[in-house]
Amino acid sequence: MTPTPSRRRSVCALAIVLLTTAGCATRTASSAPSHGLPAPIREVLPNGMRLIIQEHRAASTVAIHLWTGVGGRDESVGERGFSHFAEHMMFKGTATRPRGFVETEVESVGGRTNAGTSNDYTFYYLLLPAARALPGIALIADMVLNSVFDPTELTREREVVFEEVRLNEDNPRSSLGRQLYNLLYQEHPYGRPVLGDAADLRAATQETLRGYYTRYYVPNNMTLVVVGPVDPAAVRAAALEAFGARPAVPYTRPPLPAPGRFDGVRDRAVERPERQTQLGLAWLGPPLGHSDMAAVDVLGHILGGPRSSRLNQALRERARLVSSISGWYGALQGAGTIGVTAQLEGRDAGAVEQAILAEIERVRSDGVTPDELARAITASEAEREFSRETVEGLALAYGRAETTWNLEEERAYVDRVRKVTRAEVQAAARRYLTASYARLTFVPRARTP
Amino acid sequence: MRAPRLLGTAVLAATAAWALVGAAAAQGPRREQLPSGLTLLVRENTATPVVAASLFVRVGSRWETEDDAGISHLLQQVLLKGTPTRSALEIAEAAEGLGGGISASADMDFSELRATALARNWKKMIELMADVALRPTLPDAEIDGERRVMLTALRSRQDQPFPLAMDTVMSRVYGDHPYGRPILGRPAALERIDRAALLAYHQRFYRAPRMILAVSGDVSAREVMAEVARRFAAAPAGEGEPEPTLPAAAARADRTVLVRPSAQAQVLVAFLAPPTSHPDYAAVKVLTTALGGGMAGRLFTEVRDKQGLAYSTGGAYPSRLGPGVLYMQLGTAPANQVRAEAAMLGELERIRRDPVNPAELTRAKAYLLGNFALDRRTNARLAWYDAFFEVLGVGLDFADRYTRAVEAVTAEDLLRVAQTYLAAPTIVTLGPAAQ
Repeated sequence: MTPTPSRRRSVCALAIVLLTTAGCATRTASSAPSHGLPAPIREVLPNGMRLIIQEHRAASTVAIHLWTGVGGRDESVGERGFSHFAEHMMFKGTATRPRGFVETEVESVGGRTNAGTSNDYTFYYLLLPAARALPGIALIADMVLNSVFDPTELTREREVVFEEVRLNEDNPRSSLGRQLYNLLYQEHPYGRPVLGDAADLRAATQETLRGYYTRYYVPNNMTLVVVGPVDPAAVRAAALEAFGARPAVPYTRPPLPAPGRFDGVRDRAVERPERQTQLGLAWLGPPLGHSDMAAVDVLGHILGGPRSSRLNQALRERARLVSSISGWYGALQGAGTIGVTAQLEGRDAGAVEQAILAEIERVRSDGVTPDELARAITASEAEREFSRETVEGLALAYGRAETTWNLEEERAYVDRVRKVTRAEVQAAARRYLTASYARLTFVPRARTP
Repeated sequence: MRAPRLLGTAVLAATAAWALVGAAAAQGPRREQLPSGLTLLVRENTATPVVAASLFVRVGSRWETEDDAGISHLLQQVLLKGTPTRSALEIAEAAEGLGGGISASADMDFSELRATALARNWKKMIELMADVALRPTLPDAEIDGERRVMLTALRSRQDQPFPLAMDTVMSRVYGDHPYGRPILGRPAALERIDRAALLAYHQRFYRAPRMILAVSGDVSAREVMAEVARRFAAAPAGEGEPEPTLPAAAARADRTVLVRPSAQAQVLVAFLAPPTSHPDYAAVKVLTTALGGGMAGRLFTEVRDKQGLAYSTGGAYPSRLGPGVLYMQLGTAPANQVRAEAAMLGELERIRRDPVNPAELTRAKAYLLGNFALDRRTNARLAWYDAFFEVLGVGLDFADRYTRAVEAVTAEDLLRVAQTYLAAPTIVTLGPAAQ
């Protein structure tokens, strides 16, 4: 499963949730300069806002990202879905600009814009011709600092959010991912859907939604990331002018509770209109920054990453039990998830589950081969290089790391992956891939003739 | 409030799209034809230490009939499943060991085998691609397995509202033309295709003059050319296959109502449109973008932003060798379907009646060209576009000519092409039964 974020605004909630859960945790920048990329500049403005500038001279475009440390996990009872709803409202007009201003201004110079909301964060991006970097910073600042939450727009946009919910319901794969998180995390904040609760969204008003936004869109909870062929001094000046006047507010994000441990299998079966069966298994894994993170990342790759992976070879290529299967590790700030998702033609999800568990048992008892480890490390190095082909790849990695992890650790991450040993991968399998997991099955609904 | 500000940005717009074209895309690739007839396109791009390649072969659903529908895609999948010296697993491991991957698929006008690698492994990547393309063993067990995967995927498309509505509208708008069939083919045809049929198909179409190999990355063009000449020397010469005589595309211009359980109703409206080589191509691209491209196109602003009737809505006009298609899409709550469809048809009517305003025209052109430039930044996309333009026969300078053609489009042109091509909609709706 390698979903990409849609170009359309905020398929976000789920696409981004999936972004962080699919494939490897965070493989991108490294500490070693490559092809002349200097180290990024990171600084904290006087009001607490963080600024990251990466000069990228080979690029002709600039990526401007605004990251906020607010997401589904921050929502209390009565405000479920507010992070995502607020994200939509940022495009609906500010004190001085009308609805649609971001799209119109960006698209009129040949750029792109979109936004995304996840459990841990919300982010907005502009992708522009390099010459438009400074006006772009002013534009994104106006968007996130001065949105008006007009009541008429709010009423209309609420229906758009409901359409987004319906769209996701009709897609079995995105539904499976969301419901699997719910089953694994249950009452923990990561168990809640980012798209929220219909009743809370219906009750949202200009006052309550703006109140929510005001609480979290404060300088020390925001990061501006600029990547492109830019002059850092000019970017810094533009950022100060656009964001510097906003007064500092003491805000500390409350720590997340640890996810509830459990014994045995948390099982759920859901009837769906599709004729295929979908199976999802998920285990609790290490969060971002944990010392086991790189080993679990390598484990996920060997077990369920590419075509040569254990699960793909055993279940799809040899036994022909599934039409597709993937294993992944998604690291969030407060917890990690190791998942396996598969699509099968028949109804025998039990046989598929047994085959998956048998492959896991093989890794637990016999470990992985030197070749498998070497390929996983090569894949990590290559992914870093390919991500540098575009400015937005770096901006995404930096923004996410600064908001939910640590920029320096992110940049040194490939070096950590290089040091992973076979013993560590086996130990990680034994520690995390235990008999306690969540099992979600989408089964075909019996059809009425 | 809106128009004056747009006029302000309009001055910048014309140059902005150009400004997005990266150094790598600004120059064309080096082109060479090997004695066997294989066309080679190489781009030296030192920005990142990676390499990507696309091998296009002139075969795809355009060359298929109802009796062998799906054979192109099945062949592509089985190519990766064995050569005389490598098993399926060894092919996958070899590609991953180079720091990349290898994959294959069929399309309507071409089939593609693509690979990526760290630049230092470029030679091994070329060797692997040649092995897979020229010496597939097509094992029976792998054919059976991939056939089942395709049959599953076809059923899965039938079960999902948007893919089902899309397949239906394509079959209604293209009639008996092969573009009206899904790339995955027909179940009955797939069941019949055996190893002998695949082998014969490979021999008919995998011939040097039908092949285009585009390479882009941190490589030396001279070295790549020498290596490709060596590794692809075994590709058989001769065109092999005359152009197929295709049934005419004849849009039904009717309405199909599909009743399925779904949370959203889908509305799709499609029209036949000109092929990529047609003089109206650029104008129809701009028309599509003014209507349904980006988040400031008419469908997004009118149907979603002003009326809140959709989350996903937009339009597209894919580039084809043969007859093109322009389609518009939206997904909405079943209760809103009638209103949303009326809004969409209203926009189609309005754009045939009144010229677009200058700000809209500017936005549409800038967005279209900006997206085109943004899509040609990675080596994989650069290689893909080079091979694609070659397959379409539009020339190495197509990107430049297309850009100039888009810039020259006027509001009068849009009105003319809207009236020419948007006269008779073919409509498909999908949703749960009416309450």
